Amino acid sequence: MGKEKPIVISIAIKEVLHILKDPRSLVILFLMPILQLVMFGYALKMEIQEVRIGVIDYSHSPLSRELVDSFRGSEFFRLFFFEGEERDINDLFRKRKAHAVMIIPGNFAKDLTRESLVDIQFIIDAADPNAATMIRNYVNQVIMNFNENRNDMIPIPFEIRGTLLYNPDRKSTYFFVPGIVALLLVMISALLTSITITREKETGTMEQILVSPVRPHEIIIGKVLPYILLAFLIGIIILLIGIFLFQVPFEGSVMLLLFLSTLYIITALSLGLMISTIAPTQQVAMMLALIVTLLPTFLLSGFIFPISSMPKLLQYLTYLIPAKYYLFIIRGIILKGSTFMQLFLPTLYLSIMSTVLLVISIRKFSINLER
Amino acid sequence: MSEIAVQTSGLTKKFGDFVAVDQVSIDVKRGEIFGFLGANGAGKTTMIRMLCGLLKPTSGEGKVTGLDLYAESERIKQKIGYMSQKFSLYNDLTLSENIDFYGGIYGLNPTDIEFKKNQLLADLQLTPWRDKLTGTLPPGFKQGLALGTAMLHDPSIVFLDEPTSGVDPSSRRAFWDVIYQTASRGITVFVTTHFMDEAEYCHRISIMSTGKIIALDRPDNLREKYKLPTIQSVFVHLMRQASTH
Amino acid sequence: MKRILQMMQKEFRQIFRDRPMMGIIFIVPLVQLLILAFAITTDVKHIKMSVVDFDKSAISREIINAFSQTERFDIKDFTQDLHRIDNDMRSWKTQIALVIPAGFSKDMQRGAKPQIHISADGVDGNTAGIALGYAQAILVKYGLENNSPDVSLTRRISLHIVNMVERMWYNLELDSQQFMVPGIVVVLLTIIPMMLSAMSLVKEKEIGTLEQLMVTPLRKHQLLLGKIIPFLILSYLELAIVMTVAILLFNIAMNGSYLLLASLSFLYLITTIGLGIFISTFTHTQQQAMFVAWFFMVFMIIMSGFFIPIDNMPGSLQAFTYLNPMRFFMAIIRDIFQKGSGLSYLSRDSAMMTFYGIIIITLAVFKFRKRVS
Repeated sequence: MGKEKPIVISIAIKEVLHILKDPRSLVILFLMPILQLVMFGYALKMEIQEVRIGVIDYSHSPLSRELVDSFRGSEFFRLFFFEGEERDINDLFRKRKAHAVMIIPGNFAKDLTRESLVDIQFIIDAADPNAATMIRNYVNQVIMNFNENRNDMIPIPFEIRGTLLYNPDRKSTYFFVPGIVALLLVMISALLTSITITREKETGTMEQILVSPVRPHEIIIGKVLPYILLAFLIGIIILLIGIFLFQVPFEGSVMLLLFLSTLYIITALSLGLMISTIAPTQQVAMMLALIVTLLPTFLLSGFIFPISSMPKLLQYLTYLIPAKYYLFIIRGIILKGSTFMQLFLPTLYLSIMSTVLLVISIRKFSINLER
Repeated sequence: MSEIAVQTSGLTKKFGDFVAVDQVSIDVKRGEIFGFLGANGAGKTTMIRMLCGLLKPTSGEGKVTGLDLYAESERIKQKIGYMSQKFSLYNDLTLSENIDFYGGIYGLNPTDIEFKKNQLLADLQLTPWRDKLTGTLPPGFKQGLALGTAMLHDPSIVFLDEPTSGVDPSSRRAFWDVIYQTASRGITVFVTTHFMDEAEYCHRISIMSTGKIIALDRPDNLREKYKLPTIQSVFVHLMRQASTH
Repeated sequence: MKRILQMMQKEFRQIFRDRPMMGIIFIVPLVQLLILAFAITTDVKHIKMSVVDFDKSAISREIINAFSQTERFDIKDFTQDLHRIDNDMRSWKTQIALVIPAGFSKDMQRGAKPQIHISADGVDGNTAGIALGYAQAILVKYGLENNSPDVSLTRRISLHIVNMVERMWYNLELDSQQFMVPGIVVVLLTIIPMMLSAMSLVKEKEIGTLEQLMVTPLRKHQLLLGKIIPFLILSYLELAIVMTVAILLFNIAMNGSYLLLASLSFLYLITTIGLGIFISTFTHTQQQAMFVAWFFMVFMIIMSGFFIPIDNMPGSLQAFTYLNPMRFFMAIIRDIFQKGSGLSYLSRDSAMMTFYGIIIITLAVFKFRKRVS
């Protein structure tokens, strides 16, 4: 190994020069993740900010007013009375003026004093089913409170104490900021390396390296080294900004996070490298890198949507997403103060994944050389 | 057609504060092989790019084939051919498709293109490669093909920007044969180079330094004037002189 | 005109010869459609649960039974050790813990109102909140059913309850694919035209053929049209394929006008291709173009309401989304698909989109010079 070192390092230095010669890309590389982090951090909210409800009140009674007013107590709802027939609701929804329409029947007040159960209709624009479910839950809550205030509810024979650990205020920022770091790191790393080898193939400089007595794994390692450093630097910057700007509490060990982040970066770089050995042109390489990182990381890593709710088949697919494991690691360390032993499994998966990817890259690369 | 192919007076190009071409005035006759010599950054490429309409001059005047550089740059393009040191054909198109494409861009009709294509491929002994991808062509052939393609539309002037950089010596020799043939048909050839031996083949050469022409004459006249055996030595002499100033 | 055709012919030859690229353009989106359409659901199911039962009575078993019977909760672990819960949560093995204290059943029968504890991992606050809600609902239901009979009977008669009858319009079964698949169509019509046009122009710049084209009599508009038209045709092809798959395979309901969809898509494609050309004017290598295009894309996707509803964003950020042409097209496509909205309802979105389209394409054409710099 000792004898190989200089070759690896000279390839690494050459790669560093490549990176430095293109300050424009370098600026983009550092600036864009920061901008995206800030943007994401503020944009990602699971809760709807304002629910607009159109009210058709056929009852015109103090009781129906009372019901409407019970919605006004909550900051989510903005109610407006709406003089129209049921068929105008379609128009209202198409103009996106309301999320839902509440129809209070004419005999509402009379029935509510006599009957034990009085129906009111809620028509919800369910084009976005997630939003519709959320609106339904909010509305349910308000109506439940309304009922509880007007009735002596039946007591249950015990008391329920619910607690939320680690994030009692349910701040979605705490949940998303580590996720964004994971997403940005994998995209940058994969994009960075995805074209390194393809570029040399395309410009023909690969041939020149190949006639020198360099071994395939030396080329690969030499090429990856500078990017590990670069991605690590970018990672630290966005981590710092994320934690300080969004005031995410840091519970665990900084060293452990840095160590496991490096492992994650190596996995992502290896992924890019493998793409680079497979793709014939830079264009294909970059498209591939984008396709395998962007949407899968968004949707299949548990970044936003819980994996346990997905169909089984899709859940198996999530095992192939490196960000899934890193999310366990980074959220665990930052928010829960998880220790290395508690994160052993995701760490193991990441190590296996990066090894497999690297071996494939070197193999594939050597085969290409022989041809 | 006028006997003067290219005429400039006081042609200047500035990039910000940097003067790339400084007050250059030349007259080039029809059928002449005119060489631009100079170190990297002397202004050769900028000069050629202005004459081709790729760059707008900052000041000065210029006419190419009697057409004004400022007002008629699009009309000039129909009458010139251009080839740069970068290979200008599409590697992912076949030889035939490349020729069809460039011929079509110059507005030639398909029968003319077909005729010229056959002739060009035969001249270069590339007929068997006709339907192969251009990227698979051995490097030595690419330059000739690129030049042939750049002259499909029978331009009256061709501009060659370091056409032989990265080409092996025997291919360079062959390439200059093509340039001679071209000039003998009355086509003016503008060529920049940093190979001094190639300068000897030009009818006239101009040596540029920091945007200015510091010598312009026939190669033999230049050798005689400075009492030196080769253009190489003349060039070195002039560069030393320029740097002492 | 002839020159534009020459240019187009050349583009098509290059595109169709690039087999891996063809795969990326046509096959990969279909695979993504298949996978991603199922991924997006904020429905909460199969929450990993640990149970600590210190009581060990018939009642505590009944309560645990109530949890194991729903698909909301998967009971993973029974333990007597509270520290183990903490450890399991930190290693992501469990998400919620039910703790039934000792003496629970006796206290309950005595009427002493004992406490029962549910602790959820709050890192994913949204999921945790929903899970907690479900758990509480199960417990309340159990409590109501197991009240002493005299309590329930006397109270129930005097109740006057408002009951919410909900009707979900446009998506009766709350099927998230109906919402996501049209969104994915928009994402594809953004990524592919933008990438293709940016990369193809920068590639010509990089290899030097653009310079060669510049010295030919090919005019700027001919060159650009020769690029834009093939990408337009390709994007429409993509649109047709993806729509066919969506409608036939996913049973996505298309309630609006195909003609309207096609013509508004034209306006949008002009915008995205224009963005691609614009990117190519200030980048020099394919790598740079890729990075910039990537940035634009991520920005546009996030701010489009594709998977983060714009209604969820803080007000200042919502205002920011009006700078994003994709936002308008996202709303347009979804409304055409799901609500069958006609142009009269979409005129404002269309106007804004057209406005951006004109600005971007003008800027792109203006910045794209037939000279080198």
